[in-house]
Amino acid sequence: MEFQFGLSWSGLTHYAGNVFGASLAVETIVAFFVESTFLGLWIFGWNRFGRWTHLAMIWVVTLTAYLSAYWILVSNGFLNHPVGYRVADGKLVLDDAVAVLTNPAALLAFGHILGGALLTAGFFVAGVSAHHLFRRTPEREFFGRSLRVGVFLSFPALVVTAAFGGVQLTALAELQPMKSAVFRQQAADVARVQADMAARFGPGDYVPSEAWTRGGALVMLIAFGLMMYLALAGVVLACFPRAVHRFRLWHLALMAAVPLPYLAMTGGWVFREAGRQPWVVYGLLRTQDAVSDVSPAAMRASLAVFTTLFAVLAVVNARLLVRYARRGPTDTGLGRDDRAPDGDTPDGDPAGSLPATRY
Amino acid sequence: METLAVALLGFFTAGYFVLAGADIGTGMLLPFLGRTDRERRLVIASFAPFFLGNEVWLIATAGLLAGCFPDFEGVLFTGQFAVLVPLLAGWMVRDAGLWLRGRASGAGRDPDAAAGRGSVPRGGRVWRPACDGAVVCGSWVVALSWGRLLASLFAGTPGTAATGAGAVVAALAVAALFAAHGAGFASVRLTGAPYARARRLTGRTRAWRSFALTGSLMAAVPVLAGLSLPLAASAADGATLALLVPALLVITPFLVAAQGWTWWAFRHRVSGPSYL
Repeated sequence: MEFQFGLSWSGLTHYAGNVFGASLAVETIVAFFVESTFLGLWIFGWNRFGRWTHLAMIWVVTLTAYLSAYWILVSNGFLNHPVGYRVADGKLVLDDAVAVLTNPAALLAFGHILGGALLTAGFFVAGVSAHHLFRRTPEREFFGRSLRVGVFLSFPALVVTAAFGGVQLTALAELQPMKSAVFRQQAADVARVQADMAARFGPGDYVPSEAWTRGGALVMLIAFGLMMYLALAGVVLACFPRAVHRFRLWHLALMAAVPLPYLAMTGGWVFREAGRQPWVVYGLLRTQDAVSDVSPAAMRASLAVFTTLFAVLAVVNARLLVRYARRGPTDTGLGRDDRAPDGDTPDGDPAGSLPATRY
Repeated sequence: METLAVALLGFFTAGYFVLAGADIGTGMLLPFLGRTDRERRLVIASFAPFFLGNEVWLIATAGLLAGCFPDFEGVLFTGQFAVLVPLLAGWMVRDAGLWLRGRASGAGRDPDAAAGRGSVPRGGRVWRPACDGAVVCGSWVVALSWGRLLASLFAGTPGTAATGAGAVVAALAVAALFAAHGAGFASVRLTGAPYARARRLTGRTRAWRSFALTGSLMAAVPVLAGLSLPLAASAADGATLALLVPALLVITPFLVAAQGWTWWAFRHRVSGPSYL
């Protein structure tokens, strides 16, 4: 992302970099740097550190992930609802750092994303556990417990996500009336806000794409509705060990529900970002004015390169996630003791020479 | 404050070149150092615990550019569009190769193999050579792109991508330096046949001496290239720097300590494969 802003959106870094760049810088150094270092230590450090030290490493990764989310949303919150700045020489200058750090568009979104991320994790863990219970794999105890963890996490996470989402929708009427009007399909409001904005910012089209804005919101809300039924039923069912282990229809439903939080998260982002167009910094800088001075051919080439790469990676990753989810906890490859001497194995496969994981 | 911001930028850039340069260089030499699948896995194990922590120095550098020199970031990145896009693509391909290499169906662990559908892991024969190819090509593209970028910086034209004979020479020279740095790293990390091959590259100098020499060069080259840039003049507004720079200065020793811990924990030579 840090590269993308400089490469394709240098108008944004030029105009808003004094305010918007700082939170990105803090995110990379305070959160991402620590996260990567400790993730490396955790992945490759099995059996090399004490159990508690090793556990503490993944907790550092977890905490820096929260920090990362906060700082990214401070940056994104500023784009959606600029605060704490003043304009000097045609550029934004930081005026009130506290206002930037406590921007409601950042804090409310942080709560919403935090809940949404935990909700995604809950549905993912519950879905994978349900697969193993459905298939009756040997680790009954293990997956019975993890299914309950997933289900009991999903419900409060869903409540938190919905609460922050509701507050954001209410706040939207004031912060971004156009997004709110397009979402509610209030043609009269849309026309009024369009006239207001044309009067304030000059003639132009200030109405975002209804298909993306409303479409994103609807995907999010429908996924939310389905997840609410499942999560509500889940907390009741998960109280009965017989249901946890034997209720195969529920297992199937949990497996089928794994994509729902991903759909909701993506739909929500599309709603948030498409709905604030044509602005890249709301009310201050138009998206079209933020694009770098790069030839259209170069921009198309880079879009094609990165889209292809990310699409391939997404497909490979999804397939690997499915493959590893189907394996039991011992066959994931993580946690083997790679300090053991590398003995020759009959089939000559180095992977075979690592002793199995213990958990 | 501007001077401190420039110093931080220099520190993180030099850190990236010294640390990530070692694993990129080793990746460039992967087909030379490891002749069999098993040897290549060992070569990758030599930098496996470090490369995630190494490459994040570049993210930090980009973050510093965005936070402390936003104008210059735009000029540099837009001007170097044709260099940075291949660099980032090469980086992605290389990392995908590294992370995915060991995720092919392992012997006896693949559901298909376990079900008796062939005793040799189905994916391994194509998968792992393909991943090795991604690591090697990606590493070369990254190193050559750095050479081309540095050529523009040395020529004093950060806003235009270098072309012509000068760019080719610089790209090859910098790639050679990356490879030499990788060879030095491999000779202090590896054992067995790959170690012997790395020693053939570093010559009769002591292994650590070669690595230290290429390491100093790796730190010096980007810093020297950066000296001519108009960094202090294009720094962010004083109010931003007054908050950002002290915060980053306070956290930096902790980052260095955490990375030092990684290097200390995995200081021993590798003789067996890792997770990758």
